[in-house]
Amino acid sequence: MFPTLNRTLKAAAVALAATLLPLGVAVAQDVPQGGVLQLATNADPTLNPWAPGAVIESNLINTILFDQLTRYSPEDLRPVPALATDWSASEDGLTWTFNLREGVLWSDGEAFDAEDVAFTFNDVVLNADLGAQSASQFTSIDRVEIVDATTVDFVLNSPFSALPYYLASFAGIIPEHVLGDAENPLTVASFNKQNPVTTGPFMVDEFVPGSYVSLTPNPNHWAGEPNLDGVTFRIIADPNTQVAQALAGELDVVTRLTASLASGVEASPELEVLRQSQNLYYWISLNQNDERLTDVRVRQALLHALDREAMIEAVIEGYGQVSTGPVAPLLGALYEDQVATYPYDPERAGELLDEAGWVMGDDGIREKDGEDLVLSMPTGQFGYLVPATLLAQQYWEDIGVVADVQVIEWNAYIQQVVVNREYESTLAWWSQPPTADVAPYYSCDAVGSGNNIPNYCSEELDNLMNAGRRAITPEDQQAAYSEMQQYMAEELPYLYLWYPDILTAKRTTLEGFPEINASSAFQHAVDWYLND
Amino acid sequence: MTGYLIRRIAQGILVLFLVSIFTFFLINLAPGGPSSLVDFSSTAAEREARLARFELDRSPVERYGLWLTALVTRGDLGTSINQGLPVTDLLLQRLGTTLRLALGALALAVAFGVTLGILAGLHHNRWPDHVVSVISTLGMSIPNFWLGIVAIIVFSVNLGWLPASGSGPIGQRADLATSLRHLALPAGVLAFSLMPNVIRVTRAALLEVLRSDYVRTATAKGIRRRAVVLKHALRNALIPIVSIVGLITTVLFSGSVVIESVFGWPGLGRLAIEAANGRDYPVILGVTLLAGTVVVTVNLIVDLTYAVIDPRVRHD
Repeated sequence: MFPTLNRTLKAAAVALAATLLPLGVAVAQDVPQGGVLQLATNADPTLNPWAPGAVIESNLINTILFDQLTRYSPEDLRPVPALATDWSASEDGLTWTFNLREGVLWSDGEAFDAEDVAFTFNDVVLNADLGAQSASQFTSIDRVEIVDATTVDFVLNSPFSALPYYLASFAGIIPEHVLGDAENPLTVASFNKQNPVTTGPFMVDEFVPGSYVSLTPNPNHWAGEPNLDGVTFRIIADPNTQVAQALAGELDVVTRLTASLASGVEASPELEVLRQSQNLYYWISLNQNDERLTDVRVRQALLHALDREAMIEAVIEGYGQVSTGPVAPLLGALYEDQVATYPYDPERAGELLDEAGWVMGDDGIREKDGEDLVLSMPTGQFGYLVPATLLAQQYWEDIGVVADVQVIEWNAYIQQVVVNREYESTLAWWSQPPTADVAPYYSCDAVGSGNNIPNYCSEELDNLMNAGRRAITPEDQQAAYSEMQQYMAEELPYLYLWYPDILTAKRTTLEGFPEINASSAFQHAVDWYLND
Repeated sequence: MTGYLIRRIAQGILVLFLVSIFTFFLINLAPGGPSSLVDFSSTAAEREARLARFELDRSPVERYGLWLTALVTRGDLGTSINQGLPVTDLLLQRLGTTLRLALGALALAVAFGVTLGILAGLHHNRWPDHVVSVISTLGMSIPNFWLGIVAIIVFSVNLGWLPASGSGPIGQRADLATSLRHLALPAGVLAFSLMPNVIRVTRAALLEVLRSDYVRTATAKGIRRRAVVLKHALRNALIPIVSIVGLITTVLFSGSVVIESVFGWPGLGRLAIEAANGRDYPVILGVTLLAGTVVVTVNLIVDLTYAVIDPRVRHD
């Protein structure tokens, strides 16, 4: 994304944009001020973006509290300045220099500087003993070196052109002066559960466990004070209750709205449903440790057998589109649509299975060497995984393939499928930063122990992904990732199902709320205002 | 009496000890691990580092020994794996709110249950009895969570009379009226499902007593119907009612698990659900022990109350 030749030019442009920011703030002053926004989260959050287990219930609130080096542009999700004002990569792509914003203060009044960035990465993310949340996304970083108080170098062990994208993905900077002396900086209860020291536009006012977390404007915020007087996250576990409360006027935003609840919200004149997108896709994984599934014809047949349009209609009421690979159309130029596709075609599926030696038996089940084609299919009780799995089971039955579905509790499912890899087929999803760099889910390194759930390993694919990581110019990246997507669509390491719409219900009077997706919207909380 | 008390308390402690053993080994037998350590996208290296941090790489027997030692020597229930807070703090934060809900629901269930039960008993097989019977069938058969959501839609969304969730307003101390408004829906829904038990027991006990000789004698003496029912019959009918209240208290805890989730009520029930889903072993143990203690204590109090109501019952 930063061409070698006009790198300086680009950096200058970014720096210019940064100096223009105060102007943006001046404009923002004209919008209505005041009001407290009411949101919900499903459980007590952990106010530290790197704490193990700080996931769905903590992500949005941590995004508001903890600024990152970069954040996503509300227009096209490219990384734009946050705590870093500009950045550039060395010729070999192994050193990335980030210039930090000057004059930034923590919510307790201490100055933010390069020490905090170095601490966050060297002592927390890269410290393998801590097992920090999403640390596996940063394995390409060797260390962070302090150049001076407002400059850091990210020294990499292999090229990682998507670094600025990943630095905007739940990668908040945490304060060295508060957590530096802690035995484990990820488990300090007074920070995680009470009053964290942060740089974002809002800071914690009060955390009442089980009830709510209220945020108040951070007077020290570098972009000036936010328009709102506060943001409150109420802790409401039940999604039906969240929607009922939004309809009763007690909540202003409900995130991750399930499709079945969306119609009720759409009927309300005071609420609107945003159909957002994320780099997120559902898939079926076929375990490559099972020899029957290493035949690409079998994988292709199993995908041809699925009527994905109908599944999207049935499972998520049409809020989604068929996926062609691991990169969502949201990514614009990096998304490749000229790839092999697998329209619903049970006949073609049958031919492919015949070619692979799986012939229809008298009992309606395909067999080879006297063995029936039966696949175990554990599924976890989470979201709509169970109904989606049952539909896939029916479509496969039509082509003579038996899926032996077992429904298990979510935590036990993770143990069986993710930790032990004891399954032959299973349906789940991946959510990634808005980049085409999907190596953590596909590389041979990640087989067995990492996020490569199907245990799919191909040297050719590894090379294609590494080419993308090395590519500096947008053109080179586009070329590398286009080839990668074509390869994946042909080989099907995962069976690609759909890109779901991410549904958010919001009060129509809430403005300045980027609509592109939730990550970007919460990274720009400083701009939110209520136009009552 | 003192001997009886000491014996009962010793039994109670033994029960709690056995409960802790069963709970500990059952939850450790369950597949999966604490959700903060084993989430869908964590890698093997991350999982191992975290398990070692929380000493979960030790054997269950060893961990139970450590847990019990800390509890007996220091009164320490351990630290929540997923929340990073001491279990005792979490329990204390939640106990008060759950008690408020439980007592509110119990008071409503007993007040309405006994009243309707008397009404049904006095008008045996006439229309008030049938109306009460319909109410009590509804209370028995409508699931809590459904009734809760319907109540939110009717009273909060459509009528706007009561708040839909939470135990109080945000960021300010609640006065009594506001607290009661927040309590009304969850306690009302919970009471509605508990009430049928009270109604049926009250009605049956009253019918039995009303047929007894001494009531006929009292009526024959010319005492007014009202006095016969309230002074003579009801006191004897109370014994089964007191024991059903004891039983209800245990049901209250399980019922509040559902109600707390629907109404966003920050109590022990929700803590228990979150801990069980997230395999937060120390919290599950803590909640189970606390609930066990409440049940053991309530049963003891109920047994002692018999002696007060019925002079024939003696604890020696």
